[in-house]
Amino acid sequence: MGFYDSGFPILSVITYLPLAGALLMLFINKENTGAIKTFATIVAAVDFVLSVPLWFYFDRKAAGLAMFQFRETASWIPSLGVKYSFGIDGIALLLILLTTMMGLIAVYSSYTAIDHRQKEYYILLLLLQTGMIGVFCALDFFLFYVFWEVMLVPMYFLIGIWGGQRRLYAAIKFFLYTLAGSVVMLLSILALYFFNSSGIPFLNIKGLGNAPSFDVLQFHQIGHLISPQLQFWIFLGFFLGFAIKVPMFPFHTWLPDAHVEAPTAGSVILAAVLLKMGTYGFVRFALPILPDGTRQLMIPIVTLSIIGIIYGALVSLVQKDMKKLVAYSSVSHLGFVMLGMFALNPMGLRGSVLQMINHGISTGALFLLVGIVYEQRHTRLISEYGGLAKQMPMYATLFLIAALSSMGLPALNGFIGEFTILLGVANANIWWAVFAAVGIVLGAAYLLWLYQRVFWGPLDNPANKVLKDVNKRELLTLLPLVACMIWIGIAPAPFFEMIEQPVDYIVQKVDPGYFKRQPVTYPSEAAERAAAVSSALAAIQAEVHR
Amino acid sequence: MTWADTLLLLPELIAATGASILLIVPVLGGRARGHMAKWAMLALMAVTALAVIGSTYAVAGVQQTPTFRAMFAVDAFSVFFKLLFVVVIALVTLLSEDFLSEERYSTWEYYSLLAFALCGMMFMASGVSLITIYIGLELLALSSYILAGYYKNHEESTEAAMKYFILGTVSSAILLYGISLIYGVCGSMRLSTIAAALSTMLSNDALMFGIMLLAAGLCFKIAAVPFHVWTPDVYVGAPTPISAFLSTGSKAAAFAVFARVFYVAFPAFHLDWSNVLAAIAALSMIVGNLAAITQTNVKRMLAYSSISHAGYSLLGIIAMNEMGLRGILIYTMVYVFANLGIWATILMLRRHAYAGESVEDFRGLHKRAPFAAFSMVVFLLSLGGIPPTAGFIGKYFLFAAAVQAGFGWLAIVAVVMSAVSMFYYLRLVVAMYLEEGSGAETIYSPSLRFVTALSLTVTLVVGFIPELPIRQVIESSSHLVGRVVQR
Amino acid sequence: MDALTASIPLLVFVVVGTIAVASSILVVAMRNPVNSALFLLLTFLCVAVLFVMEGAEFVGAVQVLVYAGGIMVLFLFVVMLINVRALPDDRILSPYWTGGAVVGAAVFVLLVALVRPGVYHEQNDNPLALRSTTVNARHRVVQPDGTTVRKRYTRQQVVGNSEAIGMALYRDYLVPFEVASLFLLVAMVGAILIGKRELGIDDEDVDPQYIVDRVAEEKEMKEAMSA
Repeated sequence: MGFYDSGFPILSVITYLPLAGALLMLFINKENTGAIKTFATIVAAVDFVLSVPLWFYFDRKAAGLAMFQFRETASWIPSLGVKYSFGIDGIALLLILLTTMMGLIAVYSSYTAIDHRQKEYYILLLLLQTGMIGVFCALDFFLFYVFWEVMLVPMYFLIGIWGGQRRLYAAIKFFLYTLAGSVVMLLSILALYFFNSSGIPFLNIKGLGNAPSFDVLQFHQIGHLISPQLQFWIFLGFFLGFAIKVPMFPFHTWLPDAHVEAPTAGSVILAAVLLKMGTYGFVRFALPILPDGTRQLMIPIVTLSIIGIIYGALVSLVQKDMKKLVAYSSVSHLGFVMLGMFALNPMGLRGSVLQMINHGISTGALFLLVGIVYEQRHTRLISEYGGLAKQMPMYATLFLIAALSSMGLPALNGFIGEFTILLGVANANIWWAVFAAVGIVLGAAYLLWLYQRVFWGPLDNPANKVLKDVNKRELLTLLPLVACMIWIGIAPAPFFEMIEQPVDYIVQKVDPGYFKRQPVTYPSEAAERAAAVSSALAAIQAEVHR
Repeated sequence: MTWADTLLLLPELIAATGASILLIVPVLGGRARGHMAKWAMLALMAVTALAVIGSTYAVAGVQQTPTFRAMFAVDAFSVFFKLLFVVVIALVTLLSEDFLSEERYSTWEYYSLLAFALCGMMFMASGVSLITIYIGLELLALSSYILAGYYKNHEESTEAAMKYFILGTVSSAILLYGISLIYGVCGSMRLSTIAAALSTMLSNDALMFGIMLLAAGLCFKIAAVPFHVWTPDVYVGAPTPISAFLSTGSKAAAFAVFARVFYVAFPAFHLDWSNVLAAIAALSMIVGNLAAITQTNVKRMLAYSSISHAGYSLLGIIAMNEMGLRGILIYTMVYVFANLGIWATILMLRRHAYAGESVEDFRGLHKRAPFAAFSMVVFLLSLGGIPPTAGFIGKYFLFAAAVQAGFGWLAIVAVVMSAVSMFYYLRLVVAMYLEEGSGAETIYSPSLRFVTALSLTVTLVVGFIPELPIRQVIESSSHLVGRVVQR
Repeated sequence: MDALTASIPLLVFVVVGTIAVASSILVVAMRNPVNSALFLLLTFLCVAVLFVMEGAEFVGAVQVLVYAGGIMVLFLFVVMLINVRALPDDRILSPYWTGGAVVGAAVFVLLVALVRPGVYHEQNDNPLALRSTTVNARHRVVQPDGTTVRKRYTRQQVVGNSEAIGMALYRDYLVPFEVASLFLLVAMVGAILIGKRELGIDDEDVDPQYIVDRVAEEKEMKEAMSA
């Protein structure tokens, strides 16, 4: 596999393989659904297989700018200074692996769920994959923006054509919300661009006089030179773009609609990957480029995150629809991610990044599971179910693992992420951690209550007596996710190792004095401490369980 | 004035001669052979295009070469627009084929008027004196009035032509009054002389009023708020190919004039007029987009969308910097092709009237005409400025120009409104892809197919490989930007 | 006496100008088109007088010959051909006329305020300016070494009003002038296109309906007479 260290454009291959697959699929007859499904699965599988070696060839110890690896640079629009620039650090690598894996699972899980216009469906799914991977790879703002917007279109169609009852409303809402945020972000990008080059004479903003460029890494170097006031406004632009995508508390209203109306695979991709693009945007762009802006807006964002955590959890508690419940739980979980990030210390950020992956895996799994019963019963109302544990034991077990992972039970992935976040947040301000802990307790409450209503009790609805347990294909989509939950829950060290350098880099950018004040902490210690405190938290959850 | 000078006029001479020949043909017995008119017109366009390209070799370079006593100039800027006009007219010719054969109107005169319009547009692009620009604009306008009323048997068309004519004449008078005030103050109608006169003045109310009247007249042509009221009625009433022409070629010519006049003649007074134009631009974007949302008639929707696009393009004038001028050029090109593609699709649909009118006509189009539906999505995304279509590149330039010029608030209005615009563009996408049901019949003639394919190619190529067009635009506009006073 | 002679042009201007404005208002105010046309004629004549007073006698003459002579006669012809007998009784002014009047008055006040003496470009007090033109000429220059070289130069030359206009139209403003001819051609084509009855290819040789009707009518009459 000399490909991965010899300058071969492996990231481009991974990015554009789904696109090429989508184009080839145009030539398959649309009646031949079998061939379409097989072909799409093969493309997604090859893409995943190609992305896995990245994990092994990635140099975890590279620090500073060298941590951006597998670099590809070519000129694209020289007259604007736009480069075709790809490169990933540990954070992007994990997200790309998540994307390729979830992409494969999404394709594979749609075999029976999608019963009309299959060809278009798989083409759009593959196009979406190209857009998402491109977002994580791009190191040029222009290129990033292009991928960011490109991915809107296939998602719009996925929700709009194969969605539920109110699919048109949900699709347009999703599209417009995200677009509105991202066009404002474009203005922030432009402001950065002009600050780096010619300046904005009219506003008395002197430029640095560099050659016009959209190079993200260059912006990383010059960002702190921007006056705090301008940083505030630029950050606000980024904040709108990313916060809508995350989504943070007041901007979250598109999410329940989109999640609920989207087809199962669409919800899985939305939850697992698309939401991460917002948080990824913060850690890759907003934080390191605009340290002053970050600190000025830290308190409002932390406040919104805490509101999001508690609000999301409370709203989940009262949901009657399973999918909606999982959707609102995303608001709560993403609040955790944002809270950890804005603790602005290595521990909080590590937990935040890891929690992005965890949420992708757990919530993705929950959506898949909800999709399985929905496909058979065509309802997602919790009241329609009950006692499924007897009828579908395998399903009940998988659901339990996913739910426990989502609520943060020790020995599963959610715990590691949430606990690391709590440590980091407590380091910054103990009261934030207290509020966040309330969110964890509520999270346990709504998930366990859901589990109780759906799986326990008498199996009295006759319609449920004919439900079939998970079949082999469904099991195949779920097992890798369960494996990941357990892997991260038991041995998170490789993951922490992967994100250590990027996180230190970001903290160094945001708070240059941090490492002088604080002794450097290592992720392995965090994991040990996490294990030590696990029993205490398990006790709390047992309490709630009762 | 030498023979070489006359050669510079060759494209215009060819267009005018060709137009006159087209007029004579039916008298010589060509009436019966109406279908030949299309080919004659296309041949004329090809020869004109060759002459335009040839005229650049005659001046050997891109520098401005005013000739005929500084009334007329052939430079890279004018060549860019003239080629664009020729292509637009050629595509409108292709769009008109079915309309003329189905409605049985006299074809030769129709094409002749189109060629005269082209002639006027070319004089507008090449005019470096206000009088040449004015008379070129009038030639275009008069041809457009007649063409807009070509549907003589339809009351709507006659009404539209009447409305267009009366409002157009009033706006021409306003424009002319502005020109006369400017002439009075500066003592010349040459753009360069005006610029020189302005640079020695501190402030002059009469001149400012003249500039405002001039801007108002031009805003009518580009359909900017509050001079936009004619647009929806005319686009709906006029024969559909002519609506396509009015929303693309006619506007592009007005923008060529807008850009040249303001960039060459008035940069010294930029601070004074930019805020007024900024208000007009903001109003156009807001009113155009919000009004478009409520429309159910596609032509009306396109009319309001065209009003909003006039607002976006104005950003390039207001910014008064390199980026802005390039933005106007590239955005005009991008907008023209996306719009022509959309009109081609509308022409393809048949229901009650001649062409697709209501959003419902687009229902389920992806089944009946997958290529047209797909192209339509690309065009709509391009109008909405979603990458990787050409529209994004165009909007990028305009927004960047506004940010660079310090018009941050205007840029915010522009981006928010371009997000809003996706709302009604998506309604068509919804109808085509997400709704089932019976839409209008489709008749997809080879000509329409060709227009769609060409527009699609341009829209995607400019979106994916923007370097080449951008470089062309820089080359075509750099000599005008040299005069901009950089503050 | 001197003061009186000096104020005669002003007096003429005021009188003729007032008549011009008043009659142009009457053009649009008259109900009968023939009256309107006649008042238009009066306006043209007054404007011609104003031109002559400014020393532009050629334009004044053209005004009388072309507008007053040619165009007005055509107007009258058309008015009489149409033969409008019954005039509509309903209001001619639109309900928005007050708004229009206010806007018009506002623009007028604005213009009076803006366009005051001194705003315009340097005034040319030389009455010969309208009669002179720049002329390109060459003259021979004998150089010190004995050879002669022809050098180009331009000079201002008084040539008379008509020639100055000719020079301006056919040299300085040649391009716009020629485009104006295209403009007139288009106007003519448009008038014909709008005015003529649309005939399909097959209908070209068919008699118009009113002739068909007339023939049928006469036939009926004949039959009635013979019967």
